[in-house]
Amino acid sequence: MNSRLLTTVLAGLAGLALGLTSLGADIVDRPEKLTFPPLKFEPPNPAQFRVPLKSGPVAYVVPDRTLPLVTISITVRVGSYLDPDGKEGLAEFTGYLLARGGTKSRTAEELEERLAFLAANLGSGIGDDAGSVSLNLLSKDLSEGLKILREVLTEPRFQQNKIDLFRQQNIQGMKQRNDDAKFIKAREQERLAYGDRFWACRQTTEKSVTAITEEDLRAFHQKWVHPAGFVVAVSGDFEREAMVAQLETLFSNWPFKGETPPAIPTDISISPPGVYFVKKDVNQGQVSILLPGVKRDNPDFLAIQVMNDILGGGGFTSRVMNRVRSDEGLAYGAGSAFPGGVYYPLAFQAGFASKSRSVKYATSIVLEEMNKIAMTPVTEEELQTAKRSFIDTFPENFNTKAKVAARFAGDEFTGRFAKDPTYWKTWRSRIEAVTRADVQRVAKEHLHPSKAVILMVGDEKDIELGDPKHPLTFKDLSGGPLVQVPLRDPLTMEPLPAESR
Amino acid sequence: MISLRLAGLLAVATVPALAQQIPVIERRLPNGFRLLMVERHEEPRIAGGWVVKVGSANEQLGTTGISHLFEHMMFKGTPTLGTKDAKRDLELIAEQEQVRGEMRREEAAMRVALREGKLDDVTKPENFTPRYRELEAEFKKLIDEQRQLLVKNEFDRVYTTAGASGMNAFTSEDMTGYFITVPSNKLELWCWMESERLLRPVFREFYAERDVVYEERRMRIESTPIGKFGEEFNAVFWDAHPYMWPVIGWPSDIPNITKRDADAFYALYYQPQNITLILVGDFQPDQAEAMALRYFGRIPAGTQPPPEVVTQEPNQPAEKRMYAEAETNPQVDILWKTVGYRHKDSYPLDVLQLLLSDRTGRLYKGLVLGSEVATDTYAMQDSRKWAGQFNIGGEAKEGKTPEDVEQGVYAELEKLKNELVPADELQKVKNQFAAFEYRKLTANFPIFMQVLQAEGLGDWREVNEANAKLQAVTADDVQRVARKYFTKEARAVAIYTRKPGTGAASDDPDLAGLAADQRPMVRQIVQSLTAEKDVTKLKEFLGQLEAQTGNADPKRQQLQKILQKKVAARIAELEKK
Repeated sequence: MNSRLLTTVLAGLAGLALGLTSLGADIVDRPEKLTFPPLKFEPPNPAQFRVPLKSGPVAYVVPDRTLPLVTISITVRVGSYLDPDGKEGLAEFTGYLLARGGTKSRTAEELEERLAFLAANLGSGIGDDAGSVSLNLLSKDLSEGLKILREVLTEPRFQQNKIDLFRQQNIQGMKQRNDDAKFIKAREQERLAYGDRFWACRQTTEKSVTAITEEDLRAFHQKWVHPAGFVVAVSGDFEREAMVAQLETLFSNWPFKGETPPAIPTDISISPPGVYFVKKDVNQGQVSILLPGVKRDNPDFLAIQVMNDILGGGGFTSRVMNRVRSDEGLAYGAGSAFPGGVYYPLAFQAGFASKSRSVKYATSIVLEEMNKIAMTPVTEEELQTAKRSFIDTFPENFNTKAKVAARFAGDEFTGRFAKDPTYWKTWRSRIEAVTRADVQRVAKEHLHPSKAVILMVGDEKDIELGDPKHPLTFKDLSGGPLVQVPLRDPLTMEPLPAESR
Repeated sequence: MISLRLAGLLAVATVPALAQQIPVIERRLPNGFRLLMVERHEEPRIAGGWVVKVGSANEQLGTTGISHLFEHMMFKGTPTLGTKDAKRDLELIAEQEQVRGEMRREEAAMRVALREGKLDDVTKPENFTPRYRELEAEFKKLIDEQRQLLVKNEFDRVYTTAGASGMNAFTSEDMTGYFITVPSNKLELWCWMESERLLRPVFREFYAERDVVYEERRMRIESTPIGKFGEEFNAVFWDAHPYMWPVIGWPSDIPNITKRDADAFYALYYQPQNITLILVGDFQPDQAEAMALRYFGRIPAGTQPPPEVVTQEPNQPAEKRMYAEAETNPQVDILWKTVGYRHKDSYPLDVLQLLLSDRTGRLYKGLVLGSEVATDTYAMQDSRKWAGQFNIGGEAKEGKTPEDVEQGVYAELEKLKNELVPADELQKVKNQFAAFEYRKLTANFPIFMQVLQAEGLGDWREVNEANAKLQAVTADDVQRVARKYFTKEARAVAIYTRKPGTGAASDDPDLAGLAADQRPMVRQIVQSLTAEKDVTKLKEFLGQLEAQTGNADPKRQQLQKILQKKVAARIAELEKK
């Protein structure tokens, strides 16, 4: 630090007395020659914020008096996996309309007006495997906000005209399902990765959302939205004890009992290797390369993250980006992800978008890199770049109090805290322990280009024609067959006959 | 500040309107750089970056898109970052330029053939001249040699290895911004890296990067449902102002930007007087200033100031309309000419935007909940550096047209012109602006971005001054700007209808009048009709339908009629064959 101070003084003098020309003469020519003071950071300890409430939920309470704002987020054990067959969309409708459909004492319109006047943000939603209700508001309005939240959670109105409006908006949204090649890719890659019949691949249709009634919403709400399944994250301008008392009031004397949701089904099945093709008249093809993935409690999960970072997860320091984008100029973005599922393995995925004529060539480059990282050890430099990046950006996981509360609440909800309360404390040393041999071992175990399921969405003629400088057939990319995947009618999700495409 | 009248009336329910100042420390380096610093110790990191006051509005036809391409090139390194052999690397770049010069002559010849109709597309590999192919091969040899010396994306690698994150940049009509977040002990690395690339950037891999940008163009504009129409509409809207061309550049221009163009662009716009450095986070301002002086102070001041954009948009004499058939739901998009950044009328226009927006805004209440012509609406006030636009639009509800939505928008605007906004509605909007004064302060990066945007548009002080001006807006001000700017002559209207053959096969405008629960059933019957080839059977079915229709419950009358129509159409189709 002393030399730093000296530099400061000298630089100041130089600027004043010597003018600009003498500045910078002693500046090093390479960044490695700079030295830096050490940086100490310890992650917050979840136990410090964890409060098991008498009323049922576990809460993470993180006071932060810097701004007069409070954020409360309640995670609910529910999800679209609970949608009954024929009523796909019920979870989504219930989730949206909790906050948007009014409460017992207020119509939807009155509630919206009041929230807008308080400049409060209230939102709710139910996704695949969790639901959430959240409120961000000025701390002066906290008690009114909590009363609103209680009503939203316990006595939602599910106003009929708001159900009808959401339904109609929903159906109109469905009509855009084939308009963008990206939407088609996102939909079809789920089917290919997990199987047509897996619950997460079910799609809403005009028929299924039309079948949803107000009674369905009420029953779904009363069955699943109750404090036994809640995990709460709250941060902002309050005293800890006062907030705990307010939360107890919020969740006590719940007017209905509810049920414990069944386990999330895990019966996934990936499609056989091959090139799967959806025709779409655009000048840039969308490509997705899929392989079976892992759950995040896999003992190799962090080694897999390091491997994927080097392969295609690390942006400009990754191999796929370097070759597809920087070397060849074939795509704006190219990369890979190895997400790690909480409940079932999430698929490995690599992808990019490239002009039709270079789709096959760019695909071959990605497959080549997948092969290479399994066959040859990565360099020490690559390993260090990936590890330093993970370790030294670690404080960003906790850079606001709202993030601290949300991260710990997430771990509570998914069971990670119960399983390993020191997960974050030991995280950096576990990354540090990953070796080049680990990287190659997990690549060998998980990356098999010959088994890849390759999805292409785009102009079939031009993609097939390819780049004369890099002649390739579909057979060169996959030992499996070329499979034509039909577009689906956006309202019924039935495959469309070939001639109407 | 709230006006006295309103404060007296509504004080109990309002948000304290005292602006939360972002405590910016402003310094000027002797060579012209402005340095803005915000000290925050909530986390051991620093959001750092700089904004150059150049964007697509500063460009010329022929090289549109150069600001954005240049932004990409600023990540390619310096003489010592990105290559193992700086000397040979520069030689190779010079040799590549020579080959490219010859290629450009061939490209010019190919363009002649294109104009004379002898070629259909100069970008198709099959259309390249033999000489061009030779040159391509020669160029590739030089690239391959250079690749042996390259340290790929080393600029990124140094930062990544140092624990930096979120390195990126953006280009808009008015500015180019570069940013990253570094650990707080790496401020000196940030100064080294950023001053090095400003002092001596090397534009290696220039032509591959140009292809990347063209892929970005395909991704954002050409292969999205309404991208190319949005680009066209923008070009229709602006008559003379350079806002008319897309930030990413016209398709013909991007491949024709040369390294020499990039060099000239750098010399003119990337000089210290045109750049503001911004740091937000965990540092001591005095030390940071000294460090900035040491590293950025060595960059020579420019010799001539960058030119101003002098073209002013002429007063538009008549409404413009564009009709587009696209792969999208029917919708309308309307633009009006307004005023630029920090113009006094921009504040009532900001208020107007919020009055119109969101679920309690006038558009949603009027068009989605009220007349039910739309499923969704939006309003956006956009006062840019040189001129402004106000944008309103919405998607038509099934059975309604974009023109219905358009008329609904005008009806809401007429109300704003004719009647003063009630006090509590105005206060609602002001409360939202006031709450934003706190929300804007939650983390380093959002604070950094607000300061950068304001500075790029004209003056960073706006981040602290806007709220007071917004709180001072009166109902009279809102009425005055509504009358002044939302005129027929000042607007352009884009009407989007679905391109025939791209919708759901089951989707059919005939079904619009049906109740929601009737539509899926009818669609299913219509789908099964297309599979039915037996005319006799169909005629029998039609007979049954006709018999039923007379007795049907009034709610089912229309459904019966539509079914009859569909069956009759299918019979006619089969009999024609």
